[in-house]
Amino acid sequence: MIDVTVTINGVPRKASVPAETTLLKLLREHFMLTGSKLGCDVGDCGACTVIVDGKPVNSCLMLAAQVDGREVITIEGVGKREHLHPIQKMFEEAGAVQCGFCGPGVIMSAKALLDEKPDPSVADIRDALSGNLCRCTGYTKMIEAVQDAARILRGETAAKPRQLELSK
Amino acid sequence: MKAFDYVAPRDLGAAVALLAEHGASAKILAGGTDLLVELEAAARVPKVVVDVSRLKELKGIAVTDGGLRIGAASTHNEIMRSPDLRNLFPALVEAAHTIGAVQTRNLGTLAGNLVTCVPSMDSGPALLALEAEVGIMSPRGAKRMPLAELFVRPRKTSLKPDEILTEIVIPKANLGKPSAFLKFGLRKGQALALVNVGVAAWIKKDCFVAPRIALGAVAPTVMRATRAEAFLDGKKVSEEAMAEAGRIAATEAKPISDFRASADYRRDLIETLTKRALATAVARAQQSAKEAVA
Repeated sequence: MIDVTVTINGVPRKASVPAETTLLKLLREHFMLTGSKLGCDVGDCGACTVIVDGKPVNSCLMLAAQVDGREVITIEGVGKREHLHPIQKMFEEAGAVQCGFCGPGVIMSAKALLDEKPDPSVADIRDALSGNLCRCTGYTKMIEAVQDAARILRGETAAKPRQLELSK
Repeated sequence: MKAFDYVAPRDLGAAVALLAEHGASAKILAGGTDLLVELEAAARVPKVVVDVSRLKELKGIAVTDGGLRIGAASTHNEIMRSPDLRNLFPALVEAAHTIGAVQTRNLGTLAGNLVTCVPSMDSGPALLALEAEVGIMSPRGAKRMPLAELFVRPRKTSLKPDEILTEIVIPKANLGKPSAFLKFGLRKGQALALVNVGVAAWIKKDCFVAPRIALGAVAPTVMRATRAEAFLDGKKVSEEAMAEAGRIAATEAKPISDFRASADYRRDLIETLTKRALATAVARAQQSAKEAVA
């Protein structure tokens, strides 16, 4: 067994797990943080994306032992149901979510991007999301949602009006 | 995953001692982007996994007396962000940017990409064109050899079980040698190369001097197109000369046909990518000549 001390969403946590435990398994099965999803388990789909020491990574490709002494942010640390993060809010508004499985990973990638680059180009956004696969919606609405969230986070007023008005 | 022991040695000496003790029953973990995938599916796992991802001796990118040194455990993202590399060797930055996606580039390491020894590796062609050398540590001490000698055949390097790659060095003589890298895959993100090309060349008095052309995904290992290089050496810079170098390079490669592309298609890609990469390196040479005057 390996002892791991890690800060998760700002809270210091401890665990003792078998050496072959991945970070994803540590989060989901040990700490019951099931927001990070297990999709492909080989680093292709990005559904397990979390932020370790400020950088987005596939949590299925790290051992739990490797985050000893580090800081991890998961989707649970981004927003709460009653207090969504602007990225989450804009995903909802833009209709960027269908089945929702890829969502937590996409939002973590978007958050890592906006934390570092408050005014990203579309090319930057595409590059930042290229490690996240969505099999329902396509990516256009996600890119719009990230642009809208960036505007809000920069303190600019309203997001640009949506092209499609679904009401009425 | 089947059970194994995990050790994170405190320094390189301790890591080498572990490799000496366990030999082939130990596996080195750096970025884990290949190793963990392999272990996930493996019927047999190593007895001990030696985590070198946080060893200071394997980190850092800097110009030293011997040339430009890239610590073996530098991640692709660190390579993309290095001011020295962006300035001196854009080909390496371009190659790093085409590997995987952001998440895997934050984990995967340069040495890890090289030791997979897959023919389509993206770090290989750029480094081979820049005549990189690799530093290796073992219980017998440190040694240095040309990168080309690392590659034996697909998925087989010349490293012994108790040897660890510690650094990649681009020799001082090649500092700032104009370079370029191009890759053609079926998508922009997360795609293996059908063909990738790294080139480097000095341009003196409007002529190619010591041109180097390296090709990936078109032979059992990353390879140099030496006949194309010999043709180009001393030639005046022209569209025709670069196109001809591309044609010669295509005849030197031994591409296979598989579900991604036919051998003929890959040969066409070599011609085009070689020509374009050379043109980019020439443009960079002219740009830096202009800046030197200004």
